[in-house]
Amino acid sequence: MNDAAAGIVVRNVSKTFRRAKETTGVQALHAVSLDIKPNTFVSLVGPSGCGKTTLLRMLNGLIHPDEGEILVGGVPPVPGPHMGFVFQSFRLMPWRTIRDNVSFTVELSGMDAKERADRADKYLDMVGLRRFADAFPNELSGGMKQRAALARALIAEPRYLLMDEPFASLDAQTREFMQIELMKIWQHHKSIVVFVTHSVDEAVVLSDQIVLLRPRPGEVAEVLDVDLPHPRWDYDVRERHEFVTMRRHLWERIKDMVAADPQSEFYMRGAKTEPIRGAEE
Amino acid sequence: MAAQEDQIHPIVQRRPRIGPRLSQININVWRVLVFFLLLGVWWLMAVVAGQNFLPTPWQTAQAAVAVVKDGSLLTATRDSLLVFIAGFVLSAAFAIPFGLFMGGFRVFGATIEAYVNALSAMPRVAFIPVIIVFLGLGYEAKIFIVFIGAVMPILINTYAGVLNCDGELVEMARSAGGTDMQIFRKIMLPGALPYITAGLRVGASLALINTVVAELYTAVKGLGGLLSIYGNSFRMAQYFVVVCVLAIIGVAVMQTLKLLEHRMDRWRYRGERT
Repeated sequence: MNDAAAGIVVRNVSKTFRRAKETTGVQALHAVSLDIKPNTFVSLVGPSGCGKTTLLRMLNGLIHPDEGEILVGGVPPVPGPHMGFVFQSFRLMPWRTIRDNVSFTVELSGMDAKERADRADKYLDMVGLRRFADAFPNELSGGMKQRAALARALIAEPRYLLMDEPFASLDAQTREFMQIELMKIWQHHKSIVVFVTHSVDEAVVLSDQIVLLRPRPGEVAEVLDVDLPHPRWDYDVRERHEFVTMRRHLWERIKDMVAADPQSEFYMRGAKTEPIRGAEE
Repeated sequence: MAAQEDQIHPIVQRRPRIGPRLSQININVWRVLVFFLLLGVWWLMAVVAGQNFLPTPWQTAQAAVAVVKDGSLLTATRDSLLVFIAGFVLSAAFAIPFGLFMGGFRVFGATIEAYVNALSAMPRVAFIPVIIVFLGLGYEAKIFIVFIGAVMPILINTYAGVLNCDGELVEMARSAGGTDMQIFRKIMLPGALPYITAGLRVGASLALINTVVAELYTAVKGLGGLLSIYGNSFRMAQYFVVVCVLAIIGVAVMQTLKLLEHRMDRWRYRGERT
């Protein structure tokens, strides 16, 4: 498989959500195009309502675009273990031990019990949870639960890792540790990571590429390459000049979008406003 | 790595407890104390009311020895247990799969639901004459009366359990490529378990009540039969022996189901006791 075929291509994708018996609906995405190269860590950032999560679910194949096409590895996406999905709410099954939660993904694809227990232990090792293999989710802290959820996605050795604000519900310190953890794992298991986040900081620290989306309808506003050297856990990224500049730029743009969005609770509350497409309607 | 883990993330988020932790010794002591208190109240009431209305605990104990010796109590208990267990097991064996089916096939469930509710609101005693016409006065009729008494709460709870499944977990399984059948078996069914066990507990107590009802309305047999015989001839000491046996059976059944529940829901009860 050549490089282009292994990547993710999004072409002119639009999606509108309608409630039953309604003719008009909310347009979540409008003519979004993206090109994600293999082994790239991409973050989707933007204010609430910009369709980041919708786009991520479409990449997995959980929902389908109304218009346009999505190709993942050259074919339209179908949900499966090759596309690891990590959610903000950890979504562990409370009645299963951590080991059985982690092996769930390969259990679905029919791996036998012995093999999947071994595999689960290997990935629990990787995320540093081996000692808690026999614990139940309600006995773990938030950070540990999310590491278990990460192991559950990784156990099938996915070529695409889709993460929906995975660290948003963790405390600030755990969050930074988890970012380092994720960077280390990604270094060893190169794959495409599509990472949705509200945090500009997080996006700059982790990504090779940042896709900034604007809201209502969700459109690509800007695509930025992050040129900070890897590995980024060896030095304090946040002190780097490039980090500061990029963070400020993204934050300014998001502030402007929010201030110009009539549906935002912060409408007209920014310093300067720049009208955005779709805001007049 | 693993060693540092401990310091960074201690195991937190245990189930919050209200009040001090219950220790097993404590609760047993309290239970015994309350038992003697109830015995005292009973004795006092018997003395005040007179033994023609209410026997004393001591008289009841003497009567118990007598009915155990002549074998009538054991035969009756065996008869009643047979009816109860057969009826309850049948109702569970029918209601759980049927409830799962209703939950799994939404259209079917929504259609049937109205009739299930209608049936569950109807006093089941109303069916007894009809049941006697079709099944006679023997075991079949009794077991069926127990069955219709217990089946509805189990069915309704199972159905509710499937409907209340965690949509987030379903989406998680779907994103990992789970089929409908896998999602049903691995997410919806385990998620419905607490509801099913709750239904079983309600069903069991109704089954026990209906056992006695069945024995009073059909061929007079079993513990219900003894109640009728002793009650009609004002042998109150013997009557109370039967009442106590029914209470003991009730407690035993509930404790068994509770144990079963704890075993199935290990994660929820870890570190706690029955």
